[in-house]
Amino acid sequence: MIMFLTKDQEEMLSGMKGEAIAKSMELIVKIGDVYDAEQLIPIANAQVAGVSYLTVGESIFSYFELLSKDAVKVKVPTWLNPAGMDMKKWREMEISEDFAEKQLRIVKFYEGLGINPTLTCAPYLIGHTPSHGAHLAWSESSAVSIANSFYGARTNREGAPSSLASAITGLTANYGLHITENRNPRILVDVRAKLENFSDYSALGYWYGKKFHGSIPYFMNIQRLNINEAKMLAAALAASGSVALYHVKNLTPESKSIDTENVEEKIEFTELNKKEIYNHFNQISEGPDLVAIGCPHASYEDIKLISNTLQSRQMKEGIEFWIFTSSETKTVIEADSLLTNLESRGIKVYADTCMVVSPSVGENFQNIITNSTKAAHYLSKAKTTMVNLLPLNSIVKEVTEQ
Amino acid sequence: MKIGIRPIVEGKVTGSVLLSPHPISFLGDVDSETGKIIDSESPIYGKSLKDTIFVFPRGQGSTVGSYIIFGLKVNNVSPLALVVGEAETIVIAGAILADIPLVDLPDKDLFNMVKTGDTVTIDTSEKTLKIQKREK
Repeated sequence: MIMFLTKDQEEMLSGMKGEAIAKSMELIVKIGDVYDAEQLIPIANAQVAGVSYLTVGESIFSYFELLSKDAVKVKVPTWLNPAGMDMKKWREMEISEDFAEKQLRIVKFYEGLGINPTLTCAPYLIGHTPSHGAHLAWSESSAVSIANSFYGARTNREGAPSSLASAITGLTANYGLHITENRNPRILVDVRAKLENFSDYSALGYWYGKKFHGSIPYFMNIQRLNINEAKMLAAALAASGSVALYHVKNLTPESKSIDTENVEEKIEFTELNKKEIYNHFNQISEGPDLVAIGCPHASYEDIKLISNTLQSRQMKEGIEFWIFTSSETKTVIEADSLLTNLESRGIKVYADTCMVVSPSVGENFQNIITNSTKAAHYLSKAKTTMVNLLPLNSIVKEVTEQ
Repeated sequence: MKIGIRPIVEGKVTGSVLLSPHPISFLGDVDSETGKIIDSESPIYGKSLKDTIFVFPRGQGSTVGSYIIFGLKVNNVSPLALVVGEAETIVIAGAILADIPLVDLPDKDLFNMVKTGDTVTIDTSEKTLKIQKREK
């Protein structure tokens, strides 16, 4: 089926408004055709991936050349995913001059399109919260899930190029999670295990995603879900199972209005299932050389909690402790004494990047402890890297001393 | 032998098949500068995509993979066409950016009917894939 386009959209597609807009429209329309979309719909905002030079490589510059032929700008507020380095402290991260030069060029190009260089996977933590029912084109998989699940906004799991195309045109194709009927759950999960910390939420998400790839879950018997817990669950579901939307009984905005009639299966998540995930990511035989926290990016509360858990303890010799966050959150913790407090104990806080998209982590460390299953999943893909998954208070006990 | 297909990016080309029985993550599995398969566990490890009809079940992995497909074109090592079991957004976006013909949903069991080295013609206006010559 070929979708209906307005006269204005036809003109954009035909090249009358320039090659960059035509290419962007072609991308959105063809993807829409494949998924049987009947029309294009306007989006409220966009979140664009494809920033770290580690992942996009040289190819991105050729695409930028094509886009710069017309002086094209984004049509809606647009935020940028993390880069491959802290834009200020990259030398301290042992990033090469060559990598840094290319990374700076990439971010500068996106800025030239009118994109806000937030360089975070969690724009919702720094004030960019989506509205209920709003149509979006977001691409970072954990943020996609938070927008859909926690805020009740509507976005498919966009690719790096399609989110950029939507930002440029202000449009996306109406299919998938933009349509109400496609947002109903398929699997009912009775959460019998206790969720006592962020890692437990992360373990639940990872376990479910591995078992039911792509199916929307409806979780029952979860007692609380703040944004920091929600993002751990979201990131894990997306990393292991490409899940872009979840519901939690009484706690997520669509949990009362959705239709649970088409549920195909009901299962339990037990203490044993939870333990399986911790055992799966228990790979370090020697001592750890890095603790990496902030996947997704740490919020102000996350960092406060780390500081509180540490109390007066100091880092043990030979172990680094890195926290990843957005530059905006870093500015906030700099303003109160939180940053100084952490740095005085040897803990480093890096902005704009993370353990997954920066070459600095994989190249310099082999035995990494984290509290996030998503981080553990991607870091352990490198054959030389071993990871341990632990809750934050256990991590602090293991790597610090009085 | 004629097989029906769904055209996504148009074109008519004849070329030699390179078949991957496994899904492809362009980011990580393919080198955009040389066009070679760099996934050491792939049965076509080290083979180049350049000027082939690249047949694989589906794309997977990072969505940045679309830019890798575009990079193949820029570096003159791109395949003549992409034939997938079922297209998803990574491959669709990549093929559109690079302007490489893309078809999917073969109406017969293509993966057991062609092998690497066979000559095939894809014609999106006819919605067909024809097997011209079999590699001995």
